[in-house]
Amino acid sequence: MSQGDLLHVVTADDISQGRKLFGRAIVWASALIVVLVAAAQAAQQMGKVDFGFTTWRPTLYAYILWAVCLCWSQVLIRGEHGKRTLFVLPTALFVISLTVFPLLFGLVIAFSSWNLSSPLGRQFNGLDNVRQMWSDPFYWNALRNMVWYCLAILFEYAIAFGLALLLNAEIRARKFFRVAFLLPLMLSPVAVSWMIGKSMLELRFGPVARFARWLGWENPSFFGSPEIARLTIMLLDAWTFIPFMMIMILAGLQAIPRDLTEAAKVDGAGPWRSFWEVTFPLMLPVSVTAVLIRIIFKMKLADIVINLTAGGPGGATDTVTSFIFREYRDRSNVGYGTLLAMVYLVIIIIVMTILMKVADRFTRPRT
Amino acid sequence: MRKEIYEHLVRVGATRRDVLKGAASMAAVAAASSAGMGALTRKASAQEDLRAQILQIPGVGKGSPTDADWQKVGELCLGGTKETVAEGEFAGVELTFMGLNNQNLHNFLFRGFLKPWEAYTGAKISWIDLAQADYNARLQQSIATGTVDFDILEMGAPFEGDTAGKGLLDEMPDWVAKLIDADDLVGYLKPPVGTWDGKTYRINIDGDCHTFAYRKDYFTDPAITAATGVTEPLKTWQQVNEWSKKIKGQKDPLTGLDAFGFLDPLKGWGGFGFYFLEDRATAYAKHPNDPAWLFDPDTMKPRVNNPAFVQAIQDVMDLIAAGAYPPDQINADPGTTAFQQFLAGTGGALTWWGDVGSNARTSDTSVVGDVAGFSILPGSDRVYNSKTGEWETPEGGNFAPNMAYIGWGIYVTSRVSGDEKKRKAAWSAAAHLGGKDLSLWTVAYPSGFQPYRQSHFNYDEWERAGYDRAYIENYLGSNLDSYNHPNAAIEPRIPGIFQYYSVAEDELSKGFAGQYKSAQETADAIAAAWEKITDQIGRENQIKLYKASLGL
Repeated sequence: MSQGDLLHVVTADDISQGRKLFGRAIVWASALIVVLVAAAQAAQQMGKVDFGFTTWRPTLYAYILWAVCLCWSQVLIRGEHGKRTLFVLPTALFVISLTVFPLLFGLVIAFSSWNLSSPLGRQFNGLDNVRQMWSDPFYWNALRNMVWYCLAILFEYAIAFGLALLLNAEIRARKFFRVAFLLPLMLSPVAVSWMIGKSMLELRFGPVARFARWLGWENPSFFGSPEIARLTIMLLDAWTFIPFMMIMILAGLQAIPRDLTEAAKVDGAGPWRSFWEVTFPLMLPVSVTAVLIRIIFKMKLADIVINLTAGGPGGATDTVTSFIFREYRDRSNVGYGTLLAMVYLVIIIIVMTILMKVADRFTRPRT
Repeated sequence: MRKEIYEHLVRVGATRRDVLKGAASMAAVAAASSAGMGALTRKASAQEDLRAQILQIPGVGKGSPTDADWQKVGELCLGGTKETVAEGEFAGVELTFMGLNNQNLHNFLFRGFLKPWEAYTGAKISWIDLAQADYNARLQQSIATGTVDFDILEMGAPFEGDTAGKGLLDEMPDWVAKLIDADDLVGYLKPPVGTWDGKTYRINIDGDCHTFAYRKDYFTDPAITAATGVTEPLKTWQQVNEWSKKIKGQKDPLTGLDAFGFLDPLKGWGGFGFYFLEDRATAYAKHPNDPAWLFDPDTMKPRVNNPAFVQAIQDVMDLIAAGAYPPDQINADPGTTAFQQFLAGTGGALTWWGDVGSNARTSDTSVVGDVAGFSILPGSDRVYNSKTGEWETPEGGNFAPNMAYIGWGIYVTSRVSGDEKKRKAAWSAAAHLGGKDLSLWTVAYPSGFQPYRQSHFNYDEWERAGYDRAYIENYLGSNLDSYNHPNAAIEPRIPGIFQYYSVAEDELSKGFAGQYKSAQETADAIAAAWEKITDQIGRENQIKLYKASLGL
């Protein structure tokens, strides 16, 4: 045992071989019970035998028994060290149970045909859902739209950076503006879609439509064509979430030591050069974090779309989430909807991993 | 009655004096009826007394009814229960009731009505309250996961396929049918609606259909009539389209803004938007000799891409191409066409449930007030015969009102089937809510339910209670013709019917946005998606259930 380990051990454990053996035995015995009970229930589910189970609770109870035995065995086998493990192990088991099991059940559902209206219930259908997805123009259309929506983040970022620079400057009523600019973020997107999308953009009496008419746009239409509808949704979403990026960038700007910019000034750098050579590179890690989190938010874009356009016109504003919402909720197509969500999850993970790798290389200090 | 209609009546239709007049006349009727009537008529007059009495609770113009009023009505209408159930007979019986808790009252009302019933019978009811938006998901999940945890269920007829079709409902005993006087129902609610394979499951508490609402001033305004040449209300969809195209460029006589003709909602509405394409299509597709019009009952082959439906889609596309709709119509759902457009003075006509008519006069935001007129849905000069594959031109045209959603009903689940006492208790409670007299109160006061019995259209009764006769006739008459129409188009009560509607909305949205080459291609895309849904739910089963729902 290393010196470091001994440092926090109060009692010297003298664990007998028999105790260790007992510890291992209860873990394996309880694990066997889990397997047996689960197998028996699975067999009943498949209609092979009837043990009289009415719910899956016996398997759950067996799993809890195994978890308790696992924790107990830590103390039996490893003594004082085992007790230290006990501080974490139950929580870890709980968290794993709540993430791994639903994920596994989700995967089972994803590869099933399960329409809630079907009297047949859930039926395993192999890769049929994947095939359906492959030839589903609505899903691909939604994915394509997501690319457009995500590209809009570049503009949102530029605006957020500009606003953050303004709020970081010595301007009057700075605190007021900081709070005022944050307000849109505090609004629920559902409220935004009703207050702005359905009221302010209302064509006859909405103030924005009136303003557009005053500017000379005879028949303003904010959702009439696919491009304009998509742009309107982008603007509404941007208005809500630019403050989020702005506040992150502002926090980053405030953390930049003043002497760096002052030193640049002393060295003769003008404002643009000072920004481009000093501020911007220093802000890269914060910027990347802000953009990545924003992308995650954007991937979940649904509420504004569902409320305002229901994905239309002709799918121009549809997002993956709003499409899954229709597939799952309006059409009770649980199996296919779950597969779409799973695939989307995988896409998000892959895209985010690539982006993080790229960002990591991009933000490494230039030497 | 819907709340806003009631509030309107309180504001304009019935002053306090009217109410007192109504009460006085009722007292006179009561006095006359008690003055030496024969034994044979005694029961009938007692019922009339009761009906007059409950219509005075709380009294038109005396504020919105409260829980105390609902209980009072429930208490007075216990006659049927007392005839069939002994006091305390259901002591120890516990029932669970699942229904809506939205602002239109529903469960709140049922609680009040059933409190005296619980006190008399000894049964106890616990409640599952659901928001309208959660209703479908909750019901479907309960069914799919085998966790039906309710004995009595408030449900719309379109869901009968999901419940009755799966053996989840209990058949209505004969004594209940007699108790609720099922013969009194309006035509379209009589079998096969409410029945499956000849068995009855449903106690009606509501009626629903789409009617045609139009602006009367569009047929008198000199400029508009000069442009359209139309001075009489429209009768067919062909006329509606021609009229809509010619209105373009005119000004609305009320608002002075641009005038528009018929308003089609071009955006989906969670499946409900498809009803509005159906409104156009039924005139072409619902042949008087064929009860089916949306699917072929022998194969479940969709008829949505037959020439009749294609014509309906084409009609809409023609109006889009002609620029006959307001800007942004592509993003207008039915709620928008009714409440933001028609009632606010945009557009000359639309189709909607009965309440757009009442809202026209009762809503504070409505400007169309007295210029709104109503009729059954327009018909067509020609009708498509699916059996022969030919268009026919019947004399006088073909009319087929769309009974969209059919209406709410009370059902008893098969959870109680094995326990005779509990079963009787559940049916007794359901019958209490669907009772003839109690229903008069629900259609006369805010409840969320529309008239659905022949006896609800007895205008004298309403007038004696203190209502404004002209208004009541106008409001009720617009529905009566549709309800009793011999060629009413009744939607298929098959499992997952809203799935079909929902996917159709998605495809129509693409078609209206010009992503398909033609109406036919749009309709074919819908049909293909419908075939997929049918296969997933189970074709053979759907055929069986569709036939059962049609009474074939």
